[in-house]
Amino acid sequence: MITYLEAIREAQAKALADNPHVYIYGQDVGAFGGAFKATKNLAREFPGRVLDAPISEDAIIGSAIGAAIEGMRPIIEMQYADFSTVGFNQVVNHAATLFWRTEVPCPITIRLPSGGTSGSGPFHSQSMEGLYATYPGLIVMTPATVEDAYSMLLEAVNIDDPVIFCEHKYLYYHLKADCLPTEALPVGKARIARTGRDVTVVTYSAMLHECLAMAEELAAEKYEVEVVDLRSIKPLDTDTILASVARTGRLLVVGEAWPWGGVTAEVVARVAAEGFALLDAPPRRLNAKDTPIPYHPNLWGTHRPTAQTIARATRELLRL
Amino acid sequence: MRQIPIIMPQLGESIAEATIVNIAVSKGDAIDCGQGIIEVETNKAVMEVTPPCAGTVGEITAVEGQSYSVGSVLGYVEVTEEEAERLGLAAAPPAPAADHLADEQGAIDETSGRANSPRPGSAQVQPTVRGLPVPAHASGASYMSPRMKARMAELGLHAADLAGVAGSGAAGRVTIDDFEKFLEGLEHHRVTPASSMRVAVADAMRRSWTRPIAAVAKPVVLDPLLAHRKQAASKPGPALYALRALGIALAENSAPAGRLVGDRIVHPASIDVGFAVEAEDGVLVPVLRNVDASPLAALVDRYNELVELARQRRLPGNATGGSIATVTNFGTFGLTWATPIPLPEQTLVLGLGAGKIVPHWNAEAGRFDPATEANLTLSFDHRVLDGGAAGRLLVRVADLLANPEQL
Repeated sequence: MITYLEAIREAQAKALADNPHVYIYGQDVGAFGGAFKATKNLAREFPGRVLDAPISEDAIIGSAIGAAIEGMRPIIEMQYADFSTVGFNQVVNHAATLFWRTEVPCPITIRLPSGGTSGSGPFHSQSMEGLYATYPGLIVMTPATVEDAYSMLLEAVNIDDPVIFCEHKYLYYHLKADCLPTEALPVGKARIARTGRDVTVVTYSAMLHECLAMAEELAAEKYEVEVVDLRSIKPLDTDTILASVARTGRLLVVGEAWPWGGVTAEVVARVAAEGFALLDAPPRRLNAKDTPIPYHPNLWGTHRPTAQTIARATRELLRL
Repeated sequence: MRQIPIIMPQLGESIAEATIVNIAVSKGDAIDCGQGIIEVETNKAVMEVTPPCAGTVGEITAVEGQSYSVGSVLGYVEVTEEEAERLGLAAAPPAPAADHLADEQGAIDETSGRANSPRPGSAQVQPTVRGLPVPAHASGASYMSPRMKARMAELGLHAADLAGVAGSGAAGRVTIDDFEKFLEGLEHHRVTPASSMRVAVADAMRRSWTRPIAAVAKPVVLDPLLAHRKQAASKPGPALYALRALGIALAENSAPAGRLVGDRIVHPASIDVGFAVEAEDGVLVPVLRNVDASPLAALVDRYNELVELARQRRLPGNATGGSIATVTNFGTFGLTWATPIPLPEQTLVLGLGAGKIVPHWNAEAGRFDPATEANLTLSFDHRVLDGGAAGRLLVRVADLLANPEQL
């Protein structure tokens, strides 16, 4: 058995082994093996290529851009997605625009340990994918499975554009697979995680598993829920979403990020604009509550969407 | 515990209400989902009402011997919060604005203060889906989803074509599945294409029928008219008499022929009156212009010419359209009574029935005399005028027909 976190470590090990231009840079990624042990033992296995950084996200990303210009393919670990805001300028103003200004590619991969876990509070739980997806020039990946965590991270390193790799901390230890994948869908392609004909639920990252649990619950009530895993939110696979809505006529989009704008709003907007004639009911979305993320586990449990709240929203949508 | 209403179900396609014959349970009884708990009688059969879910019988508000309309609340089942949650009855569907707010502010407790159960005792009618209450604002038998509209547009169908489809969706809404089954069912019949004339008439009538159309009628004695006609050189038909009379009456007061557009009445520019001519598989309405300005005799040639052109379906463009009212002589089919529908762009249609000889009391001679009588009808857009105004117009037309020398 291999966990989501181990898959991320294995992908990095393979990337280091496959390409001498790959190196890892981040706080405590070296001898300590990373805050979550995503780079465990890699410093020993690949001497001089897994480097500890100072506590400056700005400097970390800035130096990685410089290395990329010189032909390297750095993998950067932010300790928490939340802290990437300190290096935000380097990502959106420099990395994202570099190729468009200079025709010099910027093949950096920025790993963002994202999303909430019980008791993590407002500074260690955020979902930043929607924010980064706003900026042209960035690829934003949001793997929801062990297989995707592995194959998409390898793909991220190979892509010449800067990639924001949003790995979900809730899945690090919970999610297990029998083995690592040998093949994968191409980047930008969504996956039908469960087929159904009554309603389409579009989601990504950890919310996929809440949605699948919900679909199982509703199956007992004779509803067939189709669940679409976006895999990457930029590029966004609108075709697969529209094809699914064409089959079901109903759309619910679930995300763990806050409700103002973001991925769920983008999906609803695209379906409303391009697939209005496919809809039997108003497209709906479900997000976390519009407050900072609470620390207390009980509050956190009501802040994010869960199988129960998603089931409620889905039933309401099915009745419309 | 939550109170889930027991609702008078739809017991048959044409059943609007049913009478309570027997209530087989009482408060506190444990009941099952499929269990018949209330016996009701319609004019067709005795049937059983089943509760929407398993639970405990709460208050039964229905009274034996009383009639309740479909959708009325007959009583309540008490269920646990968990069961209510599972059935989606825990929280009332919030109003769209409130929903939006809850989405944005998030922190609002969705389950607070919005109990779905109506107050016990109120026999309020609830739209239902699968026997459960659904938000009335979100759906309804007349609701057509964008998908449904797109599918119908694709097939060139109109909402009126759905009239014969019983909906199985939320609150009786016709679902795509219902619709496709309906279409499939049609294939078992002999199907022929409708002529373009038929389709055009259908479209005009459908548009016209969006308005509240009412009708008034009055019998008129036609003997003076017939006598006048006998002496006339050009032999105008009764419809032309009626047309000229209507033209004069509208020239005196054109307000009844006005059209309501928004909050304004659009008055006729000139007294142009159309008349219905049956053509193959449809009706054409050629127009006589300024009929108030030409005496009857001067209208006959043009009238006959237009009838002939209409029958050949060779009416020139300027011979139709722009009329302010229409005359239709349904008496030519032997009919004595009809309520024609005005053209969509018109407010009035005057109808003339078949004449028949009836006894009329002659008070002076103290006896019945034979008289030729026909019904004169006026269908009108009730938004523009009322029965009184329509009646006065019709009486004026009848007066003119009784005095044909004035035409």
